[in-house]
Amino acid sequence: MECVVQGIIESQNNSHYMRHNNGVRLQHVEALQILLQGLCGVPKERVRVHELCLKSGPNLGVVPSEVRLLCDLAQPTPSWTVRHVGGAMRGAGAEQISVLVRTIVESKRGAQITVTVTSANKMPKLYATDEAVPVTPGIQLVEITAPAAAENYSEVVAAVSSFCEYLAPLLHLSKPGVSMGIVPTAAAAAASLMSNSGAKTL
Amino acid sequence: MPNQGVTLTTQILTEACQCVESQLGGAKDGRWKTALTYYRPALREASASGDLPRELLGVALHDQLGSYYFLLRAHRLILQADSSMQALMDKLQSYKPRVVLNFEGFQYRLGDFQVRVGKCVPSSEVLRGIMMEVEYLPLSSIEKSRQILEDFFDIWQDTVKKRSLPGHFILVEPNFADYGLQDHYTPQHTAVQYATCMTQLMAAVRN
Repeated sequence: MECVVQGIIESQNNSHYMRHNNGVRLQHVEALQILLQGLCGVPKERVRVHELCLKSGPNLGVVPSEVRLLCDLAQPTPSWTVRHVGGAMRGAGAEQISVLVRTIVESKRGAQITVTVTSANKMPKLYATDEAVPVTPGIQLVEITAPAAAENYSEVVAAVSSFCEYLAPLLHLSKPGVSMGIVPTAAAAAASLMSNSGAKTL
Repeated sequence: MPNQGVTLTTQILTEACQCVESQLGGAKDGRWKTALTYYRPALREASASGDLPRELLGVALHDQLGSYYFLLRAHRLILQADSSMQALMDKLQSYKPRVVLNFEGFQYRLGDFQVRVGKCVPSSEVLRGIMMEVEYLPLSSIEKSRQILEDFFDIWQDTVKKRSLPGHFILVEPNFADYGLQDHYTPQHTAVQYATCMTQLMAAVRN
């Protein structure tokens, strides 16, 4: 199982704010990095994943199924993960929590809370990873996941929820599919983080 | 291969183990178990399978517990995946396990050789075959170790004959190059050997 929330963040200079801040270059993603560094002190890793989504043909399987093949291109030797996303927890209890809990089967082991900041890029033709262009220029997807089991998912939900609160100045984080847009005051928060980055501890 | 008219029994397996222990002086090293699963597509309409592979073989090797191997024999394709792939297949429900064959028995150490003798048992528990796996530990090159393994097999055949075992062993020789495998021996080679062994066993049972 896994607990997951998603949000979006602006990834380029916001020219509107630049006019009001005397040309100070603001990178929300950099500010997020500083915030995360303060929270967990874990060094960042590069993400470069080639994703193939396979859907079962019309006659195969009692119900349609989907599986994702993920090739990690950031490692010296590319490695493949096969990932099946199952149904999400439903019902009154699930409505009340702000984190999505769903079944995941992966052909690889999971780790602690993972924060991924990525831009989705579409390839003009199959396997042409170097020719991919951003699907949403200027906006990146932030995803926070944590592995969970049936016995402990409520603790993981609580951990992810409180982690999200720390990131609130920069990000609206919610269940995938329930988009809440960007934080209007993110630029100010980012400026604050960038200027205080040397002295501030969170 | 049992002789004409002879029923395969556990007694023959015990005899074979005895050959390894007493005649060849093998030291018993423990038990082993490999499982072979035949997956078939779960079709909504039984008649129209189209170009879907009709059979997918899954192999769980005794000494590779973290991995699972898939083979498409018709396409000569082999894939090595994490053992959690089996759970994934369960979730997908696109290809379902139809027949599971367990290969299990004892393993022995004979100098530079590791020998595994075992029975092949489907879920129905009726003994289908007796097989043997011989590993020459010092070398990883198939070509370089070919002669020494053939010599071992000849010695084995003689030992078994002297013991009047009501049958004989057949050497399985798969075409590794067909599957794109190289001279350097890997667990993928072993998976191909099990798949080939099964094909031969099925053919022998039919004849």
